[in-house]
Amino acid sequence: MTTALTEEPQVTTALAARAVGLRKVFGDTVAVDGIDLDVPAGSVLGMLGPNGSGKTTLIRMLLGLTRPTAGTAELLGHPMPDGAADALPHVGALVEGPGFHSFLSGRENLRRVAATEPLLASREIPAAVDAALERVGLAAAADRRFRGYSLGMKQRLGLASALLIPRRLVVLDEPTNGLDPAGTRDVRGIIAELHAAGATVVLSSHLLAEVEATCTHVAVLQTGSLVATGELSTLLDSGSGGLVVATPDVDLALRTLREAGATAYRAEGAEPAVVVRDGPPTPDVVALLVRAGVAVHEARRTRANLEELFARLTEET
Amino acid sequence: MTTATATAAPLGRLLGAELRWVLRRPRTLVMLGVFALVPVLISIGVAVAGSRPGAGLIGQIGGNGLVLPIAAITLSLTLLLPLAVAMAAADAIAGETASGTLRGLLIAPVGRLRLVVMKAFGVLVVAALATLVIAVVGVVAGLVVVGGADGQLVTLSGTSVGLGGALGRVALVVVWAVVQLAAVGAIALAISAFTEHPLVVLASVLGGLIVFGVLGAIPSLNWLQPYLLTSGWGAGADALRDPLPLGGLLESTWRALCYLAVGAGLTTYRMLRRDA
Repeated sequence: MTTALTEEPQVTTALAARAVGLRKVFGDTVAVDGIDLDVPAGSVLGMLGPNGSGKTTLIRMLLGLTRPTAGTAELLGHPMPDGAADALPHVGALVEGPGFHSFLSGRENLRRVAATEPLLASREIPAAVDAALERVGLAAAADRRFRGYSLGMKQRLGLASALLIPRRLVVLDEPTNGLDPAGTRDVRGIIAELHAAGATVVLSSHLLAEVEATCTHVAVLQTGSLVATGELSTLLDSGSGGLVVATPDVDLALRTLREAGATAYRAEGAEPAVVVRDGPPTPDVVALLVRAGVAVHEARRTRANLEELFARLTEET
Repeated sequence: MTTATATAAPLGRLLGAELRWVLRRPRTLVMLGVFALVPVLISIGVAVAGSRPGAGLIGQIGGNGLVLPIAAITLSLTLLLPLAVAMAAADAIAGETASGTLRGLLIAPVGRLRLVVMKAFGVLVVAALATLVIAVVGVVAGLVVVGGADGQLVTLSGTSVGLGGALGRVALVVVWAVVQLAAVGAIALAISAFTEHPLVVLASVLGGLIVFGVLGAIPSLNWLQPYLLTSGWGAGADALRDPLPLGGLLESTWRALCYLAVGAGLTTYRMLRRDA
């Protein structure tokens, strides 16, 4: 790690977060099972995965809240959790729901958080708190007790605490939980602002449309492993490169295609069909199948959206 | 990264934030109010009982108001004051975990060691405030409701001590009691660092005090006495003797400091490793 740092500094500084062989075991449960992940600086990374796939545990290890069983986590170039003092002042986070005190008002809660922010000078606190409340649309409810906040208002306050100062990295765990459509739109706007300002955003969500609308990069987790990662457009292109061949002889088609070195699997849906990826060009595939005696009813290229990609990645095998 | 930036908020600001948090909590304020009532109630009881001499420490208060603050602190130290401290310690770490705010403090980041300092400070403030409220209200109620022997303290030994000397003795008992409570608080904070349920802290501390009391009352277990925090808690009444015997106060203070060291060590050990 240190040698890499001296040889190619531009590579390390270009990563906002990095996981190398990261693994976390709770008792008998493997929550995160050897994840390698690079989060490029300036990207908006959407972390996708079914419930219990290890998204939050991965985020907690990156933030130094929990120590990995094996592997290393890096945040803004600092090893975590030991480099927390250097990295975390530049990081805003909303993890596992907003945590605040019910007997304090939203503003008082936020001032308490602000008092703990290393990069915020004491005289700047009131203005920073007001600005953050304004930014998430809570200015009118700022002096009400947190106890009386709706779920969406609590979520907004959590977002405000992550945005108290300009950050280099913002980590948002399920940021639109409990938000109404206007709130969801606000969150998208905030993510877009952060992205435009050059900050890196890591976002975990189960709302695929939200990730598709806001993210430049995606990481898909499944039972503690990373099943796909990369730029959203690349992943979607690779998904759209799939060729769907409708045929009643699915088994024979799969065998033939796999022998020819193509990636092929049974397509979902009522009609029997196979999906071919990374194989030879379409005419060759069709010719191959026909020569092997497979009845080809139809062959077409599909344009995948994130939902299909996600379903395919997480439901296979 | 090339420019030097602060990696931690100023400690004074953290302590201020903790203080504000402790004092804004409704239960802290209610508790302090209850502590103010303790000497008032005793003084009314003594005044109603009139000049009939009572038994024990309370019996000494009649017509000798400056005994009241010391008696009230000694009485409250058996259960009420430890309860207040345990509650503050329970809220300090286990409570913050339960409300999801410990995570926020660690992400800020407040360094884990500083977090222990911040939390210990909050608990110590509650211990000191609770004891001071009893002392101040005790002095006032003692002088106003009970009335003093010409503003003097008549000691258990029969001599008289002037107002200044009497207040000095009250201050001594306050400091001594706060050290004892700091020991309770340190142990409570350690328990608080190991659990996420504030109730566990309260139950363990009060249960522990009761067990200590029972163990201390069993004659065949006399050899345990030097190790029990509670066995020196009667020493506060020594401040009412003349000349002032410091042996019991000093011994119980040393014992409390040992508990304090163990509690602080365990809290720090756990907080440096705890997941949030």
